[in-house]
Amino acid sequence: MDAAILIRKIIHVDMDAFYASVAQLDNPELQGKAIAVGGSEIRGVVSAASYEARKFGVRSAMSGAMAKRLCPHLIFVKTDFARYKEVSSAIRKIFYEYTDLVEPLSLDEAYLDVTENKKGNPSASLIATEIRLKIKERTGLNASAGISINKFVAKVASDINKPNGQKTIPPEEVIEFLEKLDVKKFYGVGKVTKEKMYRLGVFTGMDLKSKTEEFLTEHFGKSGGYYYNIVRGIQKGSVKPSRIQKSLAAERTFNENIASEIYMLERLEEIAKEVERRLLKSKIAGKTITLKIKYSDFTLQTRSKTLDMYVSAAALIMEIVKELLFQSSMKDSVRLLGISLSNLNNEKKKAAKPEKSIDVQLKLEF
Amino acid sequence: MKFIVSSSYLLKQLQVLGGIINSNNTLPILDNFLFDLDNKSLTVSASDLETTISSQLEVESSENGKVCIPARLLLDTLKTFPEQPLTFTIEDNNTVEISSNHGKYALAYADGEEFPTSVELKDPSSTKIQGDILATAISKTIFASGNDDLRPVMSGVFFQFSTESLTFVATDAHKLVKYTREDVQASQVAEFIMPKKPLNLLKSILAGSEDQVTIEYNESNAKFTFDNTEMICRLIDGKYPNYEAVIPKENPNKLSIDRNQFLNSVRRVSIFSNKTTHQIRLKIAGAELNISAEDIDYSNKAEERLTCDYQGDDMQIGFNSRFLTEMLNNLTSDEVSLEMSLPNRAGILTPVDGLDDGENVTMLVMPVMLNN
Repeated sequence: MDAAILIRKIIHVDMDAFYASVAQLDNPELQGKAIAVGGSEIRGVVSAASYEARKFGVRSAMSGAMAKRLCPHLIFVKTDFARYKEVSSAIRKIFYEYTDLVEPLSLDEAYLDVTENKKGNPSASLIATEIRLKIKERTGLNASAGISINKFVAKVASDINKPNGQKTIPPEEVIEFLEKLDVKKFYGVGKVTKEKMYRLGVFTGMDLKSKTEEFLTEHFGKSGGYYYNIVRGIQKGSVKPSRIQKSLAAERTFNENIASEIYMLERLEEIAKEVERRLLKSKIAGKTITLKIKYSDFTLQTRSKTLDMYVSAAALIMEIVKELLFQSSMKDSVRLLGISLSNLNNEKKKAAKPEKSIDVQLKLEF
Repeated sequence: MKFIVSSSYLLKQLQVLGGIINSNNTLPILDNFLFDLDNKSLTVSASDLETTISSQLEVESSENGKVCIPARLLLDTLKTFPEQPLTFTIEDNNTVEISSNHGKYALAYADGEEFPTSVELKDPSSTKIQGDILATAISKTIFASGNDDLRPVMSGVFFQFSTESLTFVATDAHKLVKYTREDVQASQVAEFIMPKKPLNLLKSILAGSEDQVTIEYNESNAKFTFDNTEMICRLIDGKYPNYEAVIPKENPNKLSIDRNQFLNSVRRVSIFSNKTTHQIRLKIAGAELNISAEDIDYSNKAEERLTCDYQGDDMQIGFNSRFLTEMLNNLTSDEVSLEMSLPNRAGILTPVDGLDDGENVTMLVMPVMLNN
């Protein structure tokens, strides 16, 4: 039976200090400087820090003020998600050159299953090197990679030679690697589980392996079985390429704030056309149309309407958008307008038998 | 002790009183009527311990005395008589002898002292209200009260008296009715919760009556006095839920429609609804109301379209058809208005016409969340 189980080749690609690197790439004067993306010295939290800043102990999710204290010459940069997405999609294109089994985790991280790949390359390590090289060539950014037989080991491995490195854990080393691994690095082990494991005398993969499945299930419930398997190199989860798209949007930030609805309509026409283009490209349509308005004071407002049918034509979208725009007057001048469509018709068709109704009689709340 | 009374006159009074007698009493004495004779005045009482109701009758007599007579037996006998004078004689061998034109009947009686005495109200406040107004207030609200033993306060009708108006509220948490009379006032603010049973009795006695009813009440009891009758009942103990808080203030989507048409459609369509949820779906767009129901298990389906007057966003909302039917049925107006905000918020049903001056009815109904 064992021979029938195909050993998979999974690569976990993780961009190095992604947001910070993109910022440095776009602003050469920031190269080699300690920078933080997001937040400011007074308010907000750092969403990413460059490696130069990390030396000083600046970490993501740290408050801006705290980061500034640790690293007084820290430069704060605004986040620019549109740009990150653009870079991210360029990187994904590279992935798709090798395999369709790509499971993006976020903008800067993805799993690739290259067991069978489009290049016919039998070495996952070589593919990882190629991919990292191509990322560097096309975007100028560094990526790290972990290569192994399942998602979990690959993810742990990608951290080992970070930044700008890669690590392969070949099948024969997986068991040994996992035995030495601190339990806190196991996927699914957070702060609480870690402490619980430490209390039970489980510090490494080896300790974890010495426990019976019954013992683990007793202490960790359902996850027990998962831990039991994972430490033996068994992970059932495969790379899931198709995450269903939930919404589709386009938006524009204007150079100058707009105060008149007439000018807004002009811009919205353009945005609606862009939405239409994207909808047609993905061959989808949506039922819910949302108009996003960001005022000059950065407050955000959304207005939405759900229709009975799916729409994708710009003219139809504009009709609803107009309605939403004139629904109530603008609070202020506007710096950004966006249109998004959700309730898309790309969801898998429900099974032929309709589900049992689970309608709930609501109660007055006394 | 001996008295003579008209058979139909006595029957009429006893039938009213009989409504309070439980069919299976733990205390056997409660299966009796108490006859308390004081010369020409006979007071007949019945009780279930919670509520005691008594009526005063005029009889031919010159004696005093107090006896308990089996209610069932007496009522069954009286029902068979055509109108005629009956003579009641209390014999020494613990029997009552009734003499009619047809013959003689003897019933065993119990000592009048065994009958539980009704409570006296200490320092009561009082309010006067016309009989039919009280009957209407009860019939408008009582159907909405609950049957949940866990929340006994909701099994009654909340009486809320103020110097400006009288308000009656009932709810079972799915629906709520608030009935207000601004044309009747109390001398001071008071609130109490009346149990359903005595209210049902009052409703049937007082329907169409123009007599003034005096309501006296304190912390634990209420007494209703009218005509020759007096009813004392224990109130439901507890705090009534803050119903005002759940009545939505802003319900921007307003539907006006002919009540009968709406009611008939809901009734018809609901035949096709699921037999346990009784759920129907209202879809409103423009001036069209679409009522539909579906019972997936049996592949039954119905849909009707009505024209209506609607102001607001197009919306879809689900209701338990039994609630809607009950409420629409309880109203008497030609046209009703249903105000809604969101499919998960209460709808407010009100009559558009047909109200007296100072009369106000607000009905709330919670929707059923539809899973599409």
